[in-house]
Amino acid sequence: MGASLPPKEANLFKLIVKSYETKQYKKGLKAADSILKKFPDHGETLAMKGLTLNCMDRKSEAYELVRQGLKNDLKSHVCWHVYGLLYRSDREYREAIKCYRNALRIDPDNIEILRDLSLLQAQMRDLTGFVETRQQLLSLKPNHRMNWIGFAVAHHLNSNASKAVEILEAYEGTLEDDHPPDNERCEHGEMLLYKISLLEECGFLERALAELHKKESKIVDKLDCKEQEVSLLLKLGRLEEGEKLLRALLFMNPDNYRYYEGLQKCVGLYSENSHFSPDEIDRLDALYKSLGQQYQWSSAVKRIPLDFLQGDRFQEAAENYIRPLVTKGVPSLFSDLSPLYDHPCKVDILEQLMLKLEHSIRTTSQYPGRAEKEPPSTLMWSLFLLAQHHDRRGHYDIALSKINEAIEHTPTVIDLYSAKSRILKHAGDLAAAAALADEARCMDLADRYINSDCVKRMLQADQVALAEKTAVLFTKDGDQHNNLHDMQCMWYELASGESYFRQGDLGRALKKFLAVEKHYADITEDQFDFHSYCLRKMTLRAYVEMLRFQDRLHSHAYFHKAAAGAIRCYLKLYDSPPKSTAEEDDDMSKLLPSQKKKMRQKQRKAEARAKKEAEEKHEESSAAGASKSGKRHVKPVDPDPHGEKLLKIEDPLLEATKYLKLLQKNSPDSLETHLLSFELNMRKQKILLAFQAVKQLLRLDAEHPDSHRCLIKFFHKARSMATPMTDTEKLVWSVLEAERPTISQLHEKSLTEGNEIFLERFKDSLLHRAAVAEMLYVLEPDRKLEAIRLIEESTNNMVPKKGALGPVRGWKLKDCIEVHKLLGTVLDDNEASLRWKVRCAECFPYSTYFEGSCSSAVPNSAYNQIRKSSENGSADHLEGGETADSLASNGRLEAFKDLTICP
Amino acid sequence: MVCIRKATIDDLLAMQTCNHLCLAENFQMKYYLYHILSWPQLLYVADDNNGHIVGYVLAKVEEESNECHGHITSLAVLRTHRKLGLATKLMNAAQNAMVQVFGAEYVSLHVRKSNRAAFNLYAETLGYKIHDVEAKYYADGEDAYDMRKKLKGKQIHHHPDHGRHVHGHHHEHGGGCCSSAEAEAKVSGKKETKAT
Repeated sequence: MGASLPPKEANLFKLIVKSYETKQYKKGLKAADSILKKFPDHGETLAMKGLTLNCMDRKSEAYELVRQGLKNDLKSHVCWHVYGLLYRSDREYREAIKCYRNALRIDPDNIEILRDLSLLQAQMRDLTGFVETRQQLLSLKPNHRMNWIGFAVAHHLNSNASKAVEILEAYEGTLEDDHPPDNERCEHGEMLLYKISLLEECGFLERALAELHKKESKIVDKLDCKEQEVSLLLKLGRLEEGEKLLRALLFMNPDNYRYYEGLQKCVGLYSENSHFSPDEIDRLDALYKSLGQQYQWSSAVKRIPLDFLQGDRFQEAAENYIRPLVTKGVPSLFSDLSPLYDHPCKVDILEQLMLKLEHSIRTTSQYPGRAEKEPPSTLMWSLFLLAQHHDRRGHYDIALSKINEAIEHTPTVIDLYSAKSRILKHAGDLAAAAALADEARCMDLADRYINSDCVKRMLQADQVALAEKTAVLFTKDGDQHNNLHDMQCMWYELASGESYFRQGDLGRALKKFLAVEKHYADITEDQFDFHSYCLRKMTLRAYVEMLRFQDRLHSHAYFHKAAAGAIRCYLKLYDSPPKSTAEEDDDMSKLLPSQKKKMRQKQRKAEARAKKEAEEKHEESSAAGASKSGKRHVKPVDPDPHGEKLLKIEDPLLEATKYLKLLQKNSPDSLETHLLSFELNMRKQKILLAFQAVKQLLRLDAEHPDSHRCLIKFFHKARSMATPMTDTEKLVWSVLEAERPTISQLHEKSLTEGNEIFLERFKDSLLHRAAVAEMLYVLEPDRKLEAIRLIEESTNNMVPKKGALGPVRGWKLKDCIEVHKLLGTVLDDNEASLRWKVRCAECFPYSTYFEGSCSSAVPNSAYNQIRKSSENGSADHLEGGETADSLASNGRLEAFKDLTICP
Repeated sequence: MVCIRKATIDDLLAMQTCNHLCLAENFQMKYYLYHILSWPQLLYVADDNNGHIVGYVLAKVEEESNECHGHITSLAVLRTHRKLGLATKLMNAAQNAMVQVFGAEYVSLHVRKSNRAAFNLYAETLGYKIHDVEAKYYADGEDAYDMRKKLKGKQIHHHPDHGRHVHGHHHEHGGGCCSSAEAEAKVSGKKETKAT
């Protein structure tokens, strides 16, 4: 380094490097400048100056200097290394790898560069390269533990676990017998467990078990050691030993379901789908009775039998299980029981049981057959349980009457209000649900959970502004008003993105969806620092799991939702691009005077809000400037807080394609992925890609109404294409010709016939009928009335059920809303859509969407009557759509800010 | 039906969501990764078997000082899952691992002075004592109790049932503790991992 310089300058050069490492950039810069005064063309100095400037946020100068330096000294590994570091700092890993490789060509044994290269290779999953680099590092420095471990891990990642074992054993061969010293016991134990897990992965089960027994005394993590041993014993079929060990594990943690599962396997009482013969049920019952005596403090041991018991024994066990939990008032009891609702017989038994308990408590204050009186709260909790039961069954009126009675009984229990809010949400009254959640929130301002619950309900009711004001009561972080984004609060960003999307505010919606996408990119980036860290810490199993987790990170539900949301925004943006101001004025002139007035009011409100926000921002930033700590951690102001620039994108379909690719790669088994692919590729005129999407949809679920829609729409479109002219068109044509007969839904049938057959198969399902109707109209627009009739002739069949409280209707609110939108948009028939609304308002009296008679959308509904007479201040939330303004203007929110004590 | 088990990497995103829902002190994902990649034995979750994480404990070991000790970074249980003793079970699991794997002498945590429910859980059910008060520890200026509990000398394989007496006691008093029991705020996820 700096070899070509005279001694004084060579020392200065060392100083630059040292200053860089110790982050004393100014000092480094000074040293660089004094070298450059004498040797203005010195390549390595120019490069190091660039690297230093890069750390001082002077990016463009940095690149310029580094490139200049490199040009002046192409044979310097330092210049190449620096260039690589520069790229690395910008996450341009592929470019960085190229630079390191050039550096190594000049100085092949440079350990530092090799190490840096290996990190990038791990990050980019260049696994063959990673193995090579790690091998080189080991041969250069075989006395470093980390180099052995790194070489082994590299082989493991590169799908060669047995080689990894060999390397670890060779490493062990270099150790003294008394290894490890006290301060390395944890690390050594981790290495041994890693090796055993590798042996297991290779299928060398006997060897793994032998190794485990041999090294047991050196394995520090006894719990993991036992769990590993159980896993091996079970795979080897050594069930008796496995059972013994599992009982020991249960002794340590009798609430781990996996231990119980393992134990059942060991005693031959395990079944994937929980189907057991009567004899097996007897044995299971006996097993859990004896376990229950040993582990009285375990909840699991009491709950598990409800899964396998049937009939009268189920009833008895359920009653014994439920009673003490109702008495104690365990709020999660219903959610605990809810998996049992997959079994209709058990649901009936539970319903009878809950009614029996309620009746007995109500009339005698005792459980049936008991002498002790129950405390008054038992009635309240049994009503709470019943309300949730009826909610689950869709009996919203009964659910509400039960929960109202519970609230009347004890008006101070917050859980009751949250439950009521949830019932109202299910019943379709989103505004009332939000109001109830807000009432719950106000009962304990220090509890973030009820704050979050309330924010969620507000977003569902599309009260985004109010939701944000409520959320930020908990998100102050020093000078920062709102750290939801910085702390990666994705559930919130998704829910508000979805609300903006529903309201047609595509800019803000995109902003939120892309924010979530960014978090995932950051999480991918997060792994970088751990490539070397974990080799030192020896947490190798966790490290390898982390890499695998990162490889499937983008299949996580939040990412899927965000990407799908963003794609939908771009599709909408493509279908109806934002208008210029002139066009907007033009639109205004077409409106009726009353509509104009409304529009202007809306605009004025929006402007006022924007102004207020700007003022708040200003205050914040000035407050931040005067921060006492003086650290001036001023965050760069977001130049596009409302996503307006995002709307001005030139090619929305191109943007959407980016996210679609991620979905196709990471969520290939989701119907939504291929629906979006269909929509996008049809718009892009990519016929074969759209056809791929159709085929995927048929593969995943050919019976889904949307799969049917895409199939018909696709071939309808293909039919209408002009006769192929170019070679490509001819090719596409011939592929479709060849493929169509392979699609069983069509074969040689016409599209209309295919549509009719689909109807015949699914004529009892509302959504299927709607899909058929829509396709009928697409294929033959003059049969529109027939299509509408097809929808209107759907009947809301009762789902047969013999319970005490009458049958449940088959239609779901969500589906009816979808059909309503179809009637209003594609089929474009106002009268039919109105008829549908009236009909659905009857089926869903609490639905605000359909303005049902019990919903808060109707001014004289029973609900609003109660609200008006209620003294609770939250009532005003319901009046008018834009509640945020009313709240802010009457000063209540400001008052809350002072009141709120964070937990 | 809630299962208490060691957290895996795949639980981290759900743990983060659980934290966002319950507590005011939040962390970026990197901080969770830092914990699980440093002390994989010290992260536990309460899993409701329906795919939801309803509670977690995030803990670490401070090895720098001469006395190795554990520290509870964050503990949360959803309000909907109170009164099941989950916080106690999670804490016991983490504390046991601190002793067993790392030989920790004691375990420390921070709690808001105003958070009576959490304070009661630590002081009465779990046997923590106030060691110090840290003024203005939290971002909003509130003080924290620095609480500690001695670990060594206790039975290594601490059986959960041993805590039964105290535990029952805790429940009889409403058991509100579990909802917003939390610890350590300052880090706020911005803390860099020590990995480089």
